[in-house]
Amino acid sequence: MATLLSGFKYSDSLAVVGISICTAFLCEGISWILIYRTSSYKSLRSTIDKASKKLETMKTVDKPSKKSKTKKIDRVETSLKESSRDLSLSKLKSGAVVALVLFVVFGLLNSLFEGKPVAKLPFVPVSIVQKMSHRGLQGGDMTDCSMAFLYFLCSISIRTNLQKFLGFAPPRGAPNAGLFPMPDPKTN
Amino acid sequence: MKEGKLVKFNLQQLQNGHVAPFKLSKLLDPEASWDKDQLGDVLHWIRQVVALVCGLLWGAIPFVGAIWIVLLFHCTAMALADAMHLCHISFGYSFLSLEIIGQGFLVLSSGIIYGYYAIILKIDEEDFGGHGTLLQEGLFASLTLFLLAWILVYSLAHF
Repeated sequence: MATLLSGFKYSDSLAVVGISICTAFLCEGISWILIYRTSSYKSLRSTIDKASKKLETMKTVDKPSKKSKTKKIDRVETSLKESSRDLSLSKLKSGAVVALVLFVVFGLLNSLFEGKPVAKLPFVPVSIVQKMSHRGLQGGDMTDCSMAFLYFLCSISIRTNLQKFLGFAPPRGAPNAGLFPMPDPKTN
Repeated sequence: MKEGKLVKFNLQQLQNGHVAPFKLSKLLDPEASWDKDQLGDVLHWIRQVVALVCGLLWGAIPFVGAIWIVLLFHCTAMALADAMHLCHISFGYSFLSLEIIGQGFLVLSSGIIYGYYAIILKIDEEDFGGHGTLLQEGLFASLTLFLLAWILVYSLAHF
């Protein structure tokens, strides 16, 4: 196996992908332990799903013509925003731990592959992307790919799909309320 | 016809209190009623499969150059897809034409997704948040997955 892998010029790319996959599973495992298995997360998630489905039904089937219906929709929307904000807050703790793990893994990969192209790009990236794709590499060949860019691609694609597959993706109905909600213009 | 599907979609939720379990036969059934989350998930995974297949193919051939990524001829491709939808041309033909004209992953995958929900499933996009909402399901993840597969296969197979 080692002989087969060493035959590839860019076998380091497989190491980066392998480490990214392991990191993705580790991060989701940490998130599951700290958030997803807790009853508060499950009830918040269920509340958001029900509220967003109720809101969709109210907006599509019963067209809001009366003032009372509009007020009802506003109440459900406000409750949905509050639940989404609570969900974001509950994810803070695990978010900090996951960020620390990702930082440590990035540092490890950096120490292993700094200054080495780990892959070859089949295109010349735009100048903004080159800052990441050619990070730490010598020479003017912009199709050399650094560990940072490959790790970025791995993180986004693998983690997003893993979250989706395991059912940990954020609920679709949750609006981007964030931690600091803006005042509702309808109430002013 | 479309109003009937919308009522069926909402009544099912109100009566059952939950969405019917997903069946594979639903993927090709234009008469099936869809929950927004289920449809979004299906479109997401179709995009990921298209991304993986395109990335493996692009890397193996290999296709070289950023033109294979960019949204070139996007307006032409989408306008053509709209015209085909109006003329009820089959999905296979629209796929082929988009591939010839689009020549880009984003155009190709968006064309496949559009062809799937508009022509095969005959979905009214207004019930699900419009074309934008449906077309952006899984878009960024699929782009990164496509780039990853393309770069890996190209690097490992040709050097």
